[in-house]
Amino acid sequence: MKHLIPEFERLKARFPAGFESSLVLPCVRRIQEDRGFVADSDIDGLVAYLGVPRIQIEEVLSYYTQFRRTPVGRWHLQTCRNVSCSMCGAERLIAHVGASLGIGPGETTADGRITFSTVECLGSCGTAPVVVVNETYHESMSIERLDALLRELG
Amino acid sequence: MPEIFIDGHPVQAEPGQSVLQVALANGFYIPYFCWHPALSVAGNCRICCVQVEGRSWAEISCNLPVTEGMRILTDSDVVREQRRATLQFITLNHPVDCGICDKAGECTLQDYHYAYNGRPSISLEPKVRADKFHALSGRILLDNERCILCSRCVRFTREKSKSHALGIKRRGDESLLRAAEDHALDTDWYSDNIIDICPVGALLSRSFLYKARVWYLQPVPSVCPGCARGCAVDLWVRKPQWRLKSLAAKQNTSIMRVTPHGTPGIDGPWICNKGRDLARIFERPRALQALRKGQPVEYGVAVVAARKLVADAKRAVALVSNWGSNEQLTAFRDRLGTRFTVYIKHDHMPQSGEPVEDDFLIRADKNPNTAGAVALFGARSDRAAEFPADTDLVLVWGEGCDFTRLPRGVKIVFLNAYLQPENGHADVFLPVTIQMERPGHYTNGDGVVQAFVAAVAPPPGVADAATLFAALAASEVIPA
Repeated sequence: MKHLIPEFERLKARFPAGFESSLVLPCVRRIQEDRGFVADSDIDGLVAYLGVPRIQIEEVLSYYTQFRRTPVGRWHLQTCRNVSCSMCGAERLIAHVGASLGIGPGETTADGRITFSTVECLGSCGTAPVVVVNETYHESMSIERLDALLRELG
Repeated sequence: MPEIFIDGHPVQAEPGQSVLQVALANGFYIPYFCWHPALSVAGNCRICCVQVEGRSWAEISCNLPVTEGMRILTDSDVVREQRRATLQFITLNHPVDCGICDKAGECTLQDYHYAYNGRPSISLEPKVRADKFHALSGRILLDNERCILCSRCVRFTREKSKSHALGIKRRGDESLLRAAEDHALDTDWYSDNIIDICPVGALLSRSFLYKARVWYLQPVPSVCPGCARGCAVDLWVRKPQWRLKSLAAKQNTSIMRVTPHGTPGIDGPWICNKGRDLARIFERPRALQALRKGQPVEYGVAVVAARKLVADAKRAVALVSNWGSNEQLTAFRDRLGTRFTVYIKHDHMPQSGEPVEDDFLIRADKNPNTAGAVALFGARSDRAAEFPADTDLVLVWGEGCDFTRLPRGVKIVFLNAYLQPENGHADVFLPVTIQMERPGHYTNGDGVVQAFVAAVAPPPGVADAATLFAALAASEVIPA
């Protein structure tokens, strides 16, 4: 995390003094972008750098499902399981991913290529059901399109 | 001063007060879970709702500032319906396992349910299952199913104890109270206060877990002797009518738990964990047998021997206990004060691992009545004392005396409550009572005098030190 401190310094300049806790979110986002996940040592580093109590950083990381505390596979496949997607068949997609890959939500395939998660709303209800692979949205998914996607990733 | 109307009654309010504060101060009860008089306003439980006349909706009174002429209804149809719905919501995933919950009997959720809802859950959905017996720290267990996420404990660790040891993780119906991963709660010396302020039975004391139903216990007002702050505490012991033959004798008389008495100005609603663990101080093995040079003797024989030593002494020194009550210290001064050169003994010194002093409650002097002793005998500490060269008798009252520091060859009369190796080294040893066995007063470090009362009867064979001083001074022996 230490090599990111010059970047954080530039961020800090944009906030009034005493608003260090507001920097937690942009800092952990940058850390995850850099490392792929937020390690315990990153949290310790942020506590030292920002002077924010550790629990506040832990709360932020656990509140947003987008943050990860452990490494994920090459492809991180996230399926929404909220109302709109569920009504359009997300439960079937989730079951199908599980059956195809042999893993449940929150698990990574044995070869370490694909991590599968279920998440709350991804903000794309109009094109439900939605599956996100890394940063890419795959909208209006069906079993057939999901199979094609999994073949592509496999 | 704004005047507002609560249920039609005019009441005076301070500017900046909330409707809830004004109502409670004037005898109108509004239920509340997340609000606490000593913590910031969170406004998340929604149970403290009231209706402002003329508005069609209910709003929370803890976060509603008073304005001149405001007209508040605390029990309108809208309010009653809102409360009932809020209680249905709060108990949606609550297990309602009052039968096995330590909080039952003093649980606000239980009380409010009977007062404001009274109906079983109308939800047909299965309840969300969550962790039971999750260890937040070595002292505190958490039942996540019972937790209503009021965040009182979180705010306590952030605003009062400043340990920042707790937070609410995840979100929605997956929200969980959790301790910080750096285990800050284990080193928070005020952590047990969160058990008291938990409005439900989610936070459980490990030392009190399943020990007793609270309705079999009574709070006995006392003063914590742990430091010169002298926090007013309640010692919870079994009610006399519930001391049962079927229970072990110790269970009938032991301190089941200690809670703050809530005296404004001393400690308010908080005490430190040392105060919670007073049983560790008071329930150490007791000395119950009078000794003469280490040999057991009748109490009366020991008193006669001690009286003879006092009468024969040419230069007598007394180390008086700053754990003695004002009454005992006064008894010593009145009965024996003229015969002794008096030093104040500090019975307890800071233990290793114990915080010496902080900016919240804990004081560096780990004794309850140094101020009371100093008021009677002057600030003469035993630690700085050089005993007069011709000292031939030392009367030691209370523990914490280093016998190797006493001049060689002097006679020693020793009054102590606990079973300790020094007891046998004295020429005469006399067992005495402890604080929870007698009434009295302590003067704390700020000069405030506070009373404590007896919680249990003294064991047979020990005497109150005040009686003993009279016996040592008298010409006739008063039997113990």
